[in-house]
Amino acid sequence: MQLDSKTIDSLVEEITRQVLTVLKEQSSRSDVFQQATDTMSSCSRCEERGAQHLPKTIRDDTGRPGVLSDARITAQELARYIDHTLLKPDATYAQISQLCEEARQYGFVTVCVNPVHVRLCAQLLRGSGVGICSVVGFPLGATPTNVKCYETQQAISDGATEIDMVINIGALKSKDYDSVREDIAAVVRTCHNHGAICKVIIEAALLTDDEKIKACQLAKEAGADYVKTSTGFGPGGATLHDVMLMRQAVGPDMGIKAAGGIRTYQDTVAMIKAGATRIGASASLKIMEGARSAS
Amino acid sequence: MSRIASYIDHTLVRADATPEQIARLCREACEHRFAAVAVNEVHVHLAGRLLRGTGISVACAIGFPLGGTSTWVKWYEARSALRGGANELDVMIYLGALKDGRYDLVEHDLSAIVRLCRDYGARCKAILECALLTEDEKVRACQLAVAAGVDFVKTSTGYGPSGATVHDVTLLRRLAPPTVGVKAAGGIRTYADAIAMIEAGATRLGVSAQASLQILSEERLLLENP
Repeated sequence: MQLDSKTIDSLVEEITRQVLTVLKEQSSRSDVFQQATDTMSSCSRCEERGAQHLPKTIRDDTGRPGVLSDARITAQELARYIDHTLLKPDATYAQISQLCEEARQYGFVTVCVNPVHVRLCAQLLRGSGVGICSVVGFPLGATPTNVKCYETQQAISDGATEIDMVINIGALKSKDYDSVREDIAAVVRTCHNHGAICKVIIEAALLTDDEKIKACQLAKEAGADYVKTSTGFGPGGATLHDVMLMRQAVGPDMGIKAAGGIRTYQDTVAMIKAGATRIGASASLKIMEGARSAS
Repeated sequence: MSRIASYIDHTLVRADATPEQIARLCREACEHRFAAVAVNEVHVHLAGRLLRGTGISVACAIGFPLGGTSTWVKWYEARSALRGGANELDVMIYLGALKDGRYDLVEHDLSAIVRLCRDYGARCKAILECALLTEDEKVRACQLAVAAGVDFVKTSTGYGPSGATVHDVTLLRRLAPPTVGVKAAGGIRTYADAIAMIEAGATRLGVSAQASLQILSEERLLLENP
């Protein structure tokens, strides 16, 4: 069935409303999301590459991702959603070391850092099972493809296992879709040739809904592993609306990373229910604390 | 004839800037005789083509705005921009290393790019992002940039917690030798802002596209009705 953007919009709004209602009901109970996520399966692609187990989309009983009223997640499982993030330009050696220590302690999926810190993180996290996520073309996405690829290569050779790249937003805005797709595809190829995962940041706060959908489709066509909502440096962060819209656009099998402004356990759970399979957060410890006190 | 236009880097470094907007930026720069257009690298080639032979520089942001890429990547990015037609580079310094007191890394990071600029006959501006620095760190950052051989020290990216202040411009002007320019950038929106920065010692102003046109029209009004 073909849906036009108006229909999609109204569907998304309706879903958002329903999810928010459910969440409101649940937040009044204290037992949200505690245990056994038997609806979760592992990501075959990550296992293929020898990467650590990554949770895949939560599905309801119709097999659709997201929108699930009774899924529960333990704190430990929640940690496997989180990219523990520190991207401030003035981050110091000591702060990055601490980030790694926390990631090891809580069992976060990755630490997400600027490329200049990848090597340090790789040293500190060797053998820990915590991955290293480097941003590329960050946060403006406005470097040319050759520079993004070079940056990707360097990050991977320094020890990055995942790359979060920003799309060429200006090209998307001027409907130069081939450039956007090729830019993503070149970075994806570089990643996959070296066994790394590629996430594609669309910076949703700068896009119309049509542009968000288009960006997701282009990322999917380019072979990316994840689409990601935001850099955290844009005019807005992740929203439930965007996550649901992106889930619809990419289908059930691609990863979605919600990032930017996710500061509480409740935010996190809402994003996962909306279809996110990865969470980028700098407030990860606060989120984990919330998960503990909820259980 | 505007007296202030020749100070201004007519700037559009938003993530969502389109080629159409960059073309307009270049037209405006020609019309008003700004010192340069300042753009992201993805637009350097276009701006270079449109401004060839006009005497207006193309300034490209490097490692922007976080300075979070390694020296190798900045170097590669810089060379790519210079090959693409940039003749000025606005480079964000390695801020984390400065905070850690690893000053040799900060200087090395910059001097690699300064050497590259020399090879291409281009100028290099070091962005210090003053809003994230203590007074001591500002002094140190400025000294390191000067030692690395940059042509300008620049207050801010415009993406930090705040932009140029008269205080910072005065400080940088006092620290930098007369051969090194001072670029004030971030939050300069009015003619009064611009004049305050110039009086404090700025030799270049980074002003976003809309604001620079606004500043020129304020200047015109003042010149017509003194």
